[in-house]
Amino acid sequence: MNTFHPSAAQELDQADVARVLAGDVAAFEGIVRRWQAPLVNMAWRYSRDRGRAEEMAQEAFLRAWRGLAQWRRESSFSTWLFALAANVYRSELKRFPTQTLPLDAAPEPSGPASQHSELAEKLSGEAVRRAVLALPMRYREPVVLFYFHEMDVAAAAATMGLPEGTLKARLSRARALLRQRFPHLEEEHVNLKFSSQVEGKEAVR
Amino acid sequence: MNQAKIDRSAMLDAKIEAILAGEEELIPSSGFLASVMERVQEEAVAPPPIPFPWKQAIPGILATTGVFAWGAVKLFRQGLPALNSPMLPLPHLPAALVVPVEQTGWVALALGVTLLSWLFSRRLAGRGGLL
Repeated sequence: MNTFHPSAAQELDQADVARVLAGDVAAFEGIVRRWQAPLVNMAWRYSRDRGRAEEMAQEAFLRAWRGLAQWRRESSFSTWLFALAANVYRSELKRFPTQTLPLDAAPEPSGPASQHSELAEKLSGEAVRRAVLALPMRYREPVVLFYFHEMDVAAAAATMGLPEGTLKARLSRARALLRQRFPHLEEEHVNLKFSSQVEGKEAVR
Repeated sequence: MNQAKIDRSAMLDAKIEAILAGEEELIPSSGFLASVMERVQEEAVAPPPIPFPWKQAIPGILATTGVFAWGAVKLFRQGLPALNSPMLPLPHLPAALVVPVEQTGWVALALGVTLLSWLFSRRLAGRGGLL
């Protein structure tokens, strides 16, 4: 989960932007310090490559630096920054796509391993996240941004510059594609829970 | 049957949602902030890029556009059947006279364009005059 609070940072952002625009380059450090974690995390969700996520986030900050005067203050600074970052990440991934398998080829989690339920759950989680990367970009991005924004449809739609209804429709389609890819996920989850409970009881005995 | 299908879909959605919402947060590396600020400082001290000289380029662009438009019109007119508009009969000149005059015109035009582009490039470089 992300721990940033855009509303709390709003005044600090405005002050720092004003200082930067007045020629104080060092004031940009405050902006980077506040937003580095969200931007790196957002890039990570787009690419699932740590090194690349930092490179992409750095590029987003540089673009923000160059275009700071273009922030109109109609929306919050964070909304502007996230939209700019999403554009940067999208075009970076178009130029150099991530190595992803097609959705059909994304590995499906194997059957529950009662001995290693925690590991199996981690693997199934990773498989689902990898499958998100294998979605077509028009469905992948809404999923990435919806969960990045802690399931806030309005924030995700603002970042993408889409109407909320369009975003919801794409999310729904993305979920349907993921359901098709992982039809046994729920059974496995239930089995994993059951096996964990059994293991727990055995441990108590 | 349908209700079971809906329930199953909802459960699957919930599971997928739990996985995607439960993503661990990545912490930027310790040098990330410094690296961004280093690049920002580099950009701040770098001289601003030379803007494209639109003022000087516009006459050239207009002239080029005009030449191309004129050429297009000429081509179009030649393509039209001559029957549509009654044309005056051309005066009969001997070919030996027409061809050299036409060629001289083209050569003069080419020389003129070359001279203009040379003068224009000197003006852009900030050196006025002919020499």
